[in-house]
Amino acid sequence: MKKSLQMGTRVALGLSAAAALALTGCSGSGESSAESAPLEAPFGDTTPAAAGPIDSVTWMLGSEPTTMDSDIDATTADDTVLANVCDRLMQVQPDLTLGNGIASEAEWVDDTHVVFTIRQDATFHDGSQVSTGDVLWSMQRHAAEGAAESDEYQNVVSMEQTSDDQITVTMTQPDAIFLQAMAGDGGIVWNPRVIEAEGDDFGGPGSASACSGPYQITAWEPGSQLTIEKFDGYWNTDIDASAEQVVFRWADESAIANSLTAGEAQGAYLENAGSAAAFAQSADVSVFQGPSTNAWVLETTDRGILTETDVRRALSLALDREGIAAAAFGGLAQPWKTPVGAGAWGYEVEAFKAAFDELDGAPAKPDAGDLAQAEQLITDAGVAGEQVVIASNGSSSHNVIANALVAAAKSIGLEAEILVVPQAQYGDFYSDAELRGQADLWPDEYYISKNDPLGFYKNGKSDASVNFGVFQDPEYDRIVDEAYAATDDAERAELTIDLQQRWVENAVWIPVVATPSTLVMSDAVTGVPSSAAFIYYPWAADLGTAEG
Amino acid sequence: MVRALRRVGGMLLTLVIASFIIFAAMYAAPGDPVTFLIGNPENLTPERIASVRAQYHLDEPLLAQYWHWASGVVTGDFGRSFQYHQPVGEILAARVPITLSLVAYASILLAIGGIGLGVLAAVRRGKPIDTAIVGGTTLAASIPSFVLGIALVALFAVQLRWFPVAGAGSGGVERVWALTLPALTLAIGALAIVSRVTRQSMIEQLSSEHVEAARATGLAERFIVRDHVLRGSWGPIITMVALVIASMIAGTVAVETVFGISGVGSLLVDAINTHDFPVVQSVLLFMVIAYMVVTTIVDLLLPVLDPRINRTAVSA
Repeated sequence: MKKSLQMGTRVALGLSAAAALALTGCSGSGESSAESAPLEAPFGDTTPAAAGPIDSVTWMLGSEPTTMDSDIDATTADDTVLANVCDRLMQVQPDLTLGNGIASEAEWVDDTHVVFTIRQDATFHDGSQVSTGDVLWSMQRHAAEGAAESDEYQNVVSMEQTSDDQITVTMTQPDAIFLQAMAGDGGIVWNPRVIEAEGDDFGGPGSASACSGPYQITAWEPGSQLTIEKFDGYWNTDIDASAEQVVFRWADESAIANSLTAGEAQGAYLENAGSAAAFAQSADVSVFQGPSTNAWVLETTDRGILTETDVRRALSLALDREGIAAAAFGGLAQPWKTPVGAGAWGYEVEAFKAAFDELDGAPAKPDAGDLAQAEQLITDAGVAGEQVVIASNGSSSHNVIANALVAAAKSIGLEAEILVVPQAQYGDFYSDAELRGQADLWPDEYYISKNDPLGFYKNGKSDASVNFGVFQDPEYDRIVDEAYAATDDAERAELTIDLQQRWVENAVWIPVVATPSTLVMSDAVTGVPSSAAFIYYPWAADLGTAEG
Repeated sequence: MVRALRRVGGMLLTLVIASFIIFAAMYAAPGDPVTFLIGNPENLTPERIASVRAQYHLDEPLLAQYWHWASGVVTGDFGRSFQYHQPVGEILAARVPITLSLVAYASILLAIGGIGLGVLAAVRRGKPIDTAIVGGTTLAASIPSFVLGIALVALFAVQLRWFPVAGAGSGGVERVWALTLPALTLAIGALAIVSRVTRQSMIEQLSSEHVEAARATGLAERFIVRDHVLRGSWGPIITMVALVIASMIAGTVAVETVFGISGVGSLLVDAINTHDFPVVQSVLLFMVIAYMVVTTIVDLLLPVLDPRINRTAVSA
């Protein structure tokens, strides 16, 4: 359910040593100057509304899109484009709540049946009507074995067209976040005629559009740029796109910063919040932040002293999260108490917020009391003086966090050392038990693609594929199942908050900082969401000129 | 004729050996391509891993995998990129022209600037201008290309806005315009070596007997330099320029990154980091071929420029 984070971040970070140096040097006002001049970035769901239409906007991506067929794969760059081009059954809103898309209504008729009512007035970019059969065909394509989103359909037994405009999905068990999934790439509505005609070439540069969104791709010059233009036949007349055309280009962080500074591009959603620090002094580029589900976490392996809950709790108490946010992210990350960002709160926001505020065990900056408590935990566990091995892939964020961990471990009477694993191998911690056997924990940025914390906390189940053995609790497993069955938001929120409490108490993965969605944009344009909605919501349609 | 055939045969053999070494190196490199192919850690179940391994033949031994790849190449199929899911041929077709134009542009700047400065330094050897050229180019060569690129972008693109800050332009004049700073960055770093070789080679010629003889006939110094000194110096100069060009083709990564150019260099680094075997294999082979083409051209060119060089000796 977590999307291909590895693809996105690795590609962005995956540079030769020389080029990586170029990144830090190039922005001229990289991380070091960010500390001296903290950047004020407004935090919210969206930017001020656009005042008027605009002919053409140039938008930067962190990497070249790979394919427009999200059933094969979708990187952040792919999603940023596809969000404007394709409609989904449901639609994530800028405030990360769930709205309707091609399905005008979605209703759980009982625990295992959900009925989608399909609107009949939408048209694909080739002019053909979006039929109920097309929607069903798309869902079956997403669900097919090996498709990138097939895990969203794992509880689905059957999908049938039950009337002219209705599709009924039957589940083996209740799945309260299935509707959320239908707002993601697993809910994209494809034009079967186009996909069948394009065959293997579908999704590549030059292949025809198989979608019905407010924009269509008019040109994709590989290695150069991709252009989307407003689709005049868009069904939803409430959305009157103010930007006629958006030209996407891609470059590394430093070149993105230069393009915006020089006025050659008007905006970018950054993959690394810290790189927005380059705009601290800028007169005509502003930085906006908004909720996302991204958070840096310390994932523990099933070896060493960190398999003991108290030792993990002690380490969590001693970690200087504020220092990490400043040193690794230019102050653009927030010290965080849970392993998933505020963007996951797609419903019952107040309840989640209140529960979050009450959590402890993960101080922003450990005070004397926290350190004394942590030291006591270490002494009681009888592990004082023992060693912790922390993995890092050598990137600046990883190094800062690893060093902060070494300091934290030493401050509470543990020994610690850093194990550097090559960038290209780092992701193998998730798949390679032998590699996990070499370190006690590894820091990584994690995110989920649905705006429901349950989508994260299910990872604490005893049999979850990313539960590497430090946490086994039948009671927790039972609550996960119960929460999945709770299609009522308030009830599900309550159960999920319980899971959150248990997770944090056990410090299954130790939370570090939340990295909000970070938008840099020229002051000449405005209107787009600043939350992480940009990966699924047609944000370009909101883009227009700023007043004045 | 036989010589040409032997030469082509030798190149093919080099290619086969190089492709195998590259393949084996990628195979042995740390990291598992499956992690990238699946992407989402929550999907990394043993069943899924096994099925993806089988789908990409990753569960087979090295030689079998190499055979899959090599048998495709023989029929013109370079495979599909793991990362872009497009045929590798198409991906390269979009990027090779950009990198080649960048290198060609840099080569022109390098040849004109490097040889020009070298000639000037040789003619004015021992004078302040000679010292300035030798010192200046040495200093330039000591600046890493990405640092130089950053400085050029900051000054000429971001501050003065004379040139675009990123990208390679869409073609024609626009492309030449956009590639000016990157080409300068590549060329400046290599000026020192070319100007130094030119200078040295010319100084040897300047004191040679045939030049003294020409001077004795009362020829103007500029004709002496052009027709006697430079003519006799071409061998080492051309060889050095060619070697520099060949190494540039493989060394554009840093410059491409700084200038946001999607060329072969940045493609290669991305592909290595994401274990995109088919792309790595093809890009490196492209570099090997480019190297062979450049050196072959030099071998063919040298005897034309300097008839003293024996053709058979060069080809041997």
